[in-house]
Amino acid sequence: MSPRTFSLRAPAAPLLVLALTLPVSASSAQKLDRNKEPAVSKSPTLHVPKWTKTKLANGADLIVVEKHDLPLVAFNLDFVGGAANYEPAGKLGLAQFTGQMLSEGTKTRTADQLSDAQQLLGTSINASVGQEGGTIRFTSLSDKFEPALALLTDMMLNSTFPDSALERIRGRTLVALTQQKDQPNSIAQSVFAKVTYGDAHPYGRVVNENTVKAITRADIVSFASSYFKPGRAVITVSGDIDPKSAKAIVERALAAWPQGGERPSWAYGPVPAPKTREIYLVDKPKAAQSVFAFGTPGPSRGTPDYYPIAVMNHILGGLFQSRLNHDIREVKGYSYGVRSGFAFGHGPGAFQAGGSIVSAKTDSALIGFQTHFKGVQGAMPFTDNEVKQGKESLIQSLPSRFASVNGTAAAISSIYTQDLPETFFQDYANNINAVTKDDLTRAAKQYIDWDHMNLIIVGDRATIEAPLKATGIAPIQPMDVEGKPVVVP
Amino acid sequence: MQLHRAFRFAAFAALIAAPAHAQKGNAVNIPFETMRLPNGLEIILAPDHTVPQVTVDVWYHVGSKNEMTGRTGFAHMFEHVMFTGSGHVPYGTHDRLTEGVGGTNNGSTNNDRTQYWENVPSNYLESALWMESDRMGFLLDSLDEKKFLAQRDIVKNERRQSVDNQPYGRAYELVDFGLYPETNPYSWPVVGYMADLDKATVDDVKSFFRLYYAPSNATIAIVGDFEPAQAKAFVRKYFGDLKAGAKITRPTVRPPVLSATKRLTFEDRVQVPRLYFSWVTVGDDNEDSDPLQILAQILAGPRTARLTKALVYDRQSAASVTAFNNDNESAGNFVIFVTPRPNNTLTSLEASTDSVLTRFRDDGPTAEEMQKAKAGLEFGFVSQLQSNLGKGEILNDGAVFHGDAGYYKKQYARLKAVTAADVKRVANKYLGANRVVVSIVPLNKPELASRAESSTKVTVAPDGGHYIMGNK
Repeated sequence: MSPRTFSLRAPAAPLLVLALTLPVSASSAQKLDRNKEPAVSKSPTLHVPKWTKTKLANGADLIVVEKHDLPLVAFNLDFVGGAANYEPAGKLGLAQFTGQMLSEGTKTRTADQLSDAQQLLGTSINASVGQEGGTIRFTSLSDKFEPALALLTDMMLNSTFPDSALERIRGRTLVALTQQKDQPNSIAQSVFAKVTYGDAHPYGRVVNENTVKAITRADIVSFASSYFKPGRAVITVSGDIDPKSAKAIVERALAAWPQGGERPSWAYGPVPAPKTREIYLVDKPKAAQSVFAFGTPGPSRGTPDYYPIAVMNHILGGLFQSRLNHDIREVKGYSYGVRSGFAFGHGPGAFQAGGSIVSAKTDSALIGFQTHFKGVQGAMPFTDNEVKQGKESLIQSLPSRFASVNGTAAAISSIYTQDLPETFFQDYANNINAVTKDDLTRAAKQYIDWDHMNLIIVGDRATIEAPLKATGIAPIQPMDVEGKPVVVP
Repeated sequence: MQLHRAFRFAAFAALIAAPAHAQKGNAVNIPFETMRLPNGLEIILAPDHTVPQVTVDVWYHVGSKNEMTGRTGFAHMFEHVMFTGSGHVPYGTHDRLTEGVGGTNNGSTNNDRTQYWENVPSNYLESALWMESDRMGFLLDSLDEKKFLAQRDIVKNERRQSVDNQPYGRAYELVDFGLYPETNPYSWPVVGYMADLDKATVDDVKSFFRLYYAPSNATIAIVGDFEPAQAKAFVRKYFGDLKAGAKITRPTVRPPVLSATKRLTFEDRVQVPRLYFSWVTVGDDNEDSDPLQILAQILAGPRTARLTKALVYDRQSAASVTAFNNDNESAGNFVIFVTPRPNNTLTSLEASTDSVLTRFRDDGPTAEEMQKAKAGLEFGFVSQLQSNLGKGEILNDGAVFHGDAGYYKKQYARLKAVTAADVKRVANKYLGANRVVVSIVPLNKPELASRAESSTKVTVAPDGGHYIMGNK
């Protein structure tokens, strides 16, 4: 066994417990009783990796997490804030384009040279800017860390943003947008965003042909120069490297990065007033299945109800054996799988539930969702077993977040990009365990708003509309793939 | 192609092995030991105490190739039945003792093997082995027709979700349909044809189980936070009294012979057409699969890969291009597919793809192209070692298909030794004139197919059973 200094597990102690408490049956001659569920020793104690946090001279946060079991290093340069905060409504796609343009050449390297250099190092540097955050990141063998970081720095600070590359990216994006209109899940997500948040809220804006065509090179140059700033940056180095040399290498690489930039205020406009429950039906002629996307705006990540919501959702539609999946998939066989979840943004991220349902059971599955939404609100009380499993599965799955260098980097950096307490992981089990059954019911009543739920269904209108209507659950508004109401002739 | 029991993400067994000369001695090493029970069950033990979790990864040497024409999709459907409870483990217990305690579980089926795994907190290793032994030995004791029928519906929905209701979802099925004669076990999809799925019965489950689900047809990799002596004791306790199975006659899969290029057109609910090429190559049992893997890296992927650079960047006639060598146990095929930019026909894309391939066959790869491909494979290999399941899959693949859990080391040495001349040789040997060309085109637009005049229209049989050449 190789020496491990990674602090995820305490040296030897849990092993000792295992060896002492588990029955060793090889010596016992008695007949095996297969009906007896094996006894289980004490759960392993969670060991959260330790990390150091310092600031670079330019103000960026630097976090280093050591993990020495394999010669790998993950480097994440995260930016707090994204398209929802900085993208003009008429130029949706600008943030995403800017991320892609970082791979299109620098003052001293062509795009091909950048790509070849990464391939020779066995790595790939990915830059992307999403809704509320951006990242430039790579994972490499540890002896390739420094040269890979030099490439990343060049991309961030010296990109030339050639016009020809913009046109190519635009052309490829337009093809992808066309293909998305054939993809029932993509249609469901884009209609859900529009119906739920409206055009005025950043969460309701969906990139389209017009906004993509409006983006200019000048927009990209200006977005890049104001966005990639240390004042909103969290740098995380995770893996086979010590904090001292990591800091020296990162300081050296980013010496030319001038200070500036700040985090966004997250002050979004209000979400639209809740609408009475309605089915928004997008026609997909002859579709074999109906795609469901049901939901409403939800609480932000900062909600004090985070833990009750997490446990409640796990039981409702988070686990494989959740109420929704157990009933609609396992018992009834209507789907390959259904689930529910909370997006937990910095703003009012959505609660959403759904899945793909065989067309002939679209109505029955809708009734099933209704039953379970009402169920967690009190009609079907939570059982002790459900609560126990919901909690245990959340708590005991935490170690898997620290199995890889990428996972570790993402877990630790999320504390700083999401403004969580630094003891978030250490306190996690206590916070989950403190949740009561009453908390779960209260969270379900408050955050699963069945009366105002937007029910987006993408499927074969000719066969599913009448049965949906017959359920009496909600009026039906036909929609097109762009999320606009279809006027019935 | 690989299908999973559950919709949630499960790691793909990217069974790559790669050169590595990293600074750490253990970088491409998976310390393990093996044991074999008298009933033939092979156990691979690979301790790794990085996180307090342990993975149990069970492989049975049976897949869709063991099915019959007209009864396709059964091996995968059987995999689902294995999650409905067994003699001493009631339905529900499996999920309760895996995800209910912070772990995960899943299963997957491909053409050649079926896999079941649990990743659990380390104090649940014994539970996981208890449950795996029970479904290996006593599945039929609790077989419930209602649950079986529900799983059959779920699998049909899996097919709808991943194939029928997906744009381009039938493309790989059409490639295999074009490549292999109907009697070849690699000709049908792992998920099976819709009409065949309905034919599966409880009696089929019984006979399939008796034939293939015996300890003598299985290997188990235990990877993660455990003590080998303890794990061996558990294995003897729970698997020791299971009976060995009868000898299995395995189908011989001959590589297909394409005497000419076959062109197929399929109309799909898409707006953008797409072009698929496929050539007959070799399976995992042939050493040419190594240079073919490197060939795929050099042809498509990063922006300076040959086809990507030519089609996506220089000519900008394609929105994307993908290439891979699909190596099953005993036959394989190389696939390239291209999505056009507007105003570029599939016919013109076929011609420009061919011009890149012709030049590559003449020149072979550069030294730098070899270096880049190998660097990527090396990183990918080390990266996969971060996952207990990833390691279990590497070890099981060696044990099941090469009779040696440590096979990855030999494969790694071979990949490291692949030369530019090898890659040039396989490009010439396999990526020749005879191939299958599948055009996926929008409904009622067969004229958009590549060389439409010589392309044959394919439709789905009215019962959803299989594909039919020619007119409706």
